[in-house]
Amino acid sequence: MIINFKINGKETLINLTKNKRLIDLLRDDLKLTGTKEGCSIGECGACTVIVNGKAVNSCLVLAQQVDECDVITVEGLAEGNKLSELQQNFLKYGAIQCGFCTPGMLMSAYALFLENPTPSREEIETAIEGNLCRCTGYKPIIQAITSTVSGE
Amino acid sequence: MKNYDWIQHVRGESLFVDDITPPEGTLHAAVFSSPIAHGKIINLDLEIAKKLNDVIEIFTAKDIPGENQIGAIIPDEQLLADGILDFCGQPIAIVVAKDNFSAHQAVKQIKLEFQEYSAVTDAREAFQKGQLIIPPQTFSLGDADSAWKDCDLIVEGTAESGGQEHIYLETQGSFAFPVEGGGIKIISSTQAPTTVQRAAARILNLPMNKVEVDVLRLGGGFGGKEDQATAWACMTALAAFKLKRPVKIILNRQEDIRMTGKRHPYSSDFKIGLTKEGKILAYEVTFYQNAGAAADLATAILDRTLFHCTNSYFIPNVKATAYCCKTNLPPNTAFRGFGGPQGMFVIESAIYKAAEKLGVDPMVIQEKNLLSEDDEFPYGQKTKYCMARPSWKKAIGKYNLGEMKNQVEKFNLENKIFKKGLALMPICFGISFTNTMLNQANALVHVYTDGSIGISTGAIEMGQGVNMKLRQVAATIFSVDISRVKIETTNTSRAANTSATAASSGADLNGKAVQIACNNILERLIKSAQQELKSNETDQIEVKDEIVYLNGNQTELTWNILVQKSYAKRTSLSSQAHYATPGIHFDKSKVKGEPFAYHVYGTAIIQVTVDCLRGTYEIDFVKVVHDFGKSMNPIIDRSQAEGAIMQGIGWMTIEEVIYTKYGKLLTDSMSTYKVPDVYFTPKEIEVDFLDNPNPSAAIFNSKAIGEPPLMYGIGIYFSLCNAIKAFRSNAEIKNSAPMTNEKLLLMLYEPAGQNLKRKLKNKMTVK
Ligand code: FES
Ligand code: FES
Repeated sequence: MIINFKINGKETLINLTKNKRLIDLLRDDLKLTGTKEGCSIGECGACTVIVNGKAVNSCLVLAQQVDECDVITVEGLAEGNKLSELQQNFLKYGAIQCGFCTPGMLMSAYALFLENPTPSREEIETAIEGNLCRCTGYKPIIQAITSTVSGE
Repeated sequence: MKNYDWIQHVRGESLFVDDITPPEGTLHAAVFSSPIAHGKIINLDLEIAKKLNDVIEIFTAKDIPGENQIGAIIPDEQLLADGILDFCGQPIAIVVAKDNFSAHQAVKQIKLEFQEYSAVTDAREAFQKGQLIIPPQTFSLGDADSAWKDCDLIVEGTAESGGQEHIYLETQGSFAFPVEGGGIKIISSTQAPTTVQRAAARILNLPMNKVEVDVLRLGGGFGGKEDQATAWACMTALAAFKLKRPVKIILNRQEDIRMTGKRHPYSSDFKIGLTKEGKILAYEVTFYQNAGAAADLATAILDRTLFHCTNSYFIPNVKATAYCCKTNLPPNTAFRGFGGPQGMFVIESAIYKAAEKLGVDPMVIQEKNLLSEDDEFPYGQKTKYCMARPSWKKAIGKYNLGEMKNQVEKFNLENKIFKKGLALMPICFGISFTNTMLNQANALVHVYTDGSIGISTGAIEMGQGVNMKLRQVAATIFSVDISRVKIETTNTSRAANTSATAASSGADLNGKAVQIACNNILERLIKSAQQELKSNETDQIEVKDEIVYLNGNQTELTWNILVQKSYAKRTSLSSQAHYATPGIHFDKSKVKGEPFAYHVYGTAIIQVTVDCLRGTYEIDFVKVVHDFGKSMNPIIDRSQAEGAIMQGIGWMTIEEVIYTKYGKLLTDSMSTYKVPDVYFTPKEIEVDFLDNPNPSAAIFNSKAIGEPPLMYGIGIYFSLCNAIKAFRSNAEIKNSAPMTNEKLLLMLYEPAGQNLKRKLKNKMTVK
């Protein structure tokens, strides 16, 4: 089956020879390894990407489901060398340790902003409730997202 | 200050083992493991599995060219079991296939015939059966036996603390490929490349120089990849060696949780004696450590339990004994704190019980017994620059403990169903590997002719920011922009015979080695500048912000020019340096010495609100005063502290490892084993840096940060206990961590039937 979709703004055509998950399509076929696999069962959020404006766990989505869709991964957040404000705030507040949860966190937060540019703290928490971070204790992550809203 | 690792992380560009583009023809491995906790292999049938499409080969113990042994401290652990099965999840065979899916399909087709034996999962039961890995260890100070008679109050009890699964977000993995000359190169997600190198050499019967181990970075380690990354690395090495092709293994989460060990569960007995004023005179404790099926690092962990059995208190008479008990669980292993937390939980439990009996707040006993300057630990070392009391004092003052207590009291009076609890948790943690030998590191620093700098050490970056700290060391010493400094991968060919990045000491040890190497090069550069500027011996030359100054005056020489001119003069721009922590020693036979370079101190205040109808709870706040020394990087250190606190809290509350009595793990996925999520974080978390002017032994007067703050989390257990008692003052407090919602609910209410039993008993006694 041939699928046609947009990945980080670029039209892409892929011939799917067998069933695979979206995460495998991204990591193995497209070499977009920024998306991480932490649990494979939708519990950790490390594999979060955006499909048609919504955050999804790419370990739970079949590749063929993104036919005709617009997909954004962590590699699509920066414009060339210029990091997005959200990414910059992750650096500024030290919202990163090992970095394994970071792509997923960024994508969940970014999806939230696509839907609601001025979320409350509760809405921010809801947006990343499915993203586990074993390193930071979440505080700097929340700070980074919150200050992206307030433009601090 | 730019953290280059972080920039790559937010761009999704940093590489972990599984992110490396594998060369054409890379094979994938999957592990077939024991379905039972104890038994014997009768027959292993690989025929059907071998015939499956895309399966290349299946390896078992008999295919190992060297010794089938991966035990690092004690040789008691086979890479692949070939006779006795000692735990559920013990690797037996490695399937290698063209892809990951086929490898896993084939695993399911392997048929194992076995004879099952009864399994032991409990440390005390193993002890009773005499299943000890090493003889018991005892630490003592003063004379506990004769001190009891001077005590006004003696309290005895037991304390249990559960296991803890690491849940590093990146699962275990390795990638190996053959190199020319019959050697092997392994890219592993390990905290201990030398351990992997040594084990793989032993498995393959190769000299260590034919095994090269390279580590990019880890997606979290927490101790779980100190010893337990070795098996997977050896498996890929074996397969790649035999098949002469690249082989990769990435455990999926369930395999990882099932096959790897966790924090050691402990069961302990304590006896504590005090004066009526609350001064502790004597403490006796016996630890039963559940080591699992092999030693792994259990013996070293047991030592640290003993080292920290009195936490941050001075107790003049101590007798602490520890048993390393062999059970049929996966070999338990290092986990942040390394046995220290388990020891501290027991003394805190003992103090809590004693406070109940004395009718005082545990804080009173805690405060009265805090360490002071020159106090002796049970292992003979004396406190120096002791921050136990200063951190306590600052915490209760800065955060206004008096007001907090009033608020809690008021709240508890006004609310029936919701109750608040408040507790303090002081910590004291010794820094250095307790095995003195391991306190060494080496660094290799190159300055290239364009002025850029490359650094190799044995330190592993796993999120703790060690790479950034090493960069800072070099940039500070050379006084150049930090963008010039690159930290290379950790590689056994560039940094040999390294200790694991563990014991919180990665930055301490490797930072010092980098410092020495940079100073060596700087010295040569200054000499060359001297010649260049034709200055004499007494002139003062320094590099500041990439410019050379002569007696305080700027010269024409910039960093770049200086480097080039020095190279032209045939000056070495590279240095290899070695650092060994001075002054530490420990006599194992006398169990006395000065094992630690220094101690880290601090105090936390933790408050919770319990919903006494449901047994659920929220964390109102965690407020800490912590002894960071002179922090090299406050952003990194603060985040380390906060993350460690969350892990400690998780261990004490919601993280529950459950095995059946047959040794089968029930909590084997991230849906059944829960780590703190964003909702579980404290509503407020505040970490204050204690001003600590004293010199520490570590790099630039900083202090190790990785492990110590985890132990603040222990405080939450007693905050919860206090909330329970606010609800029902005669509730019977059990020291049995983790305090899950179920356990808490059971403690809140008198067990059904208890009332009836009492009535019956009363009736009987009346008769
Ligand atoms: S890997 Fe998809 S949610 Fe964990
Ligand atoms: S930074 Fe390591 S899991 Fe979040």
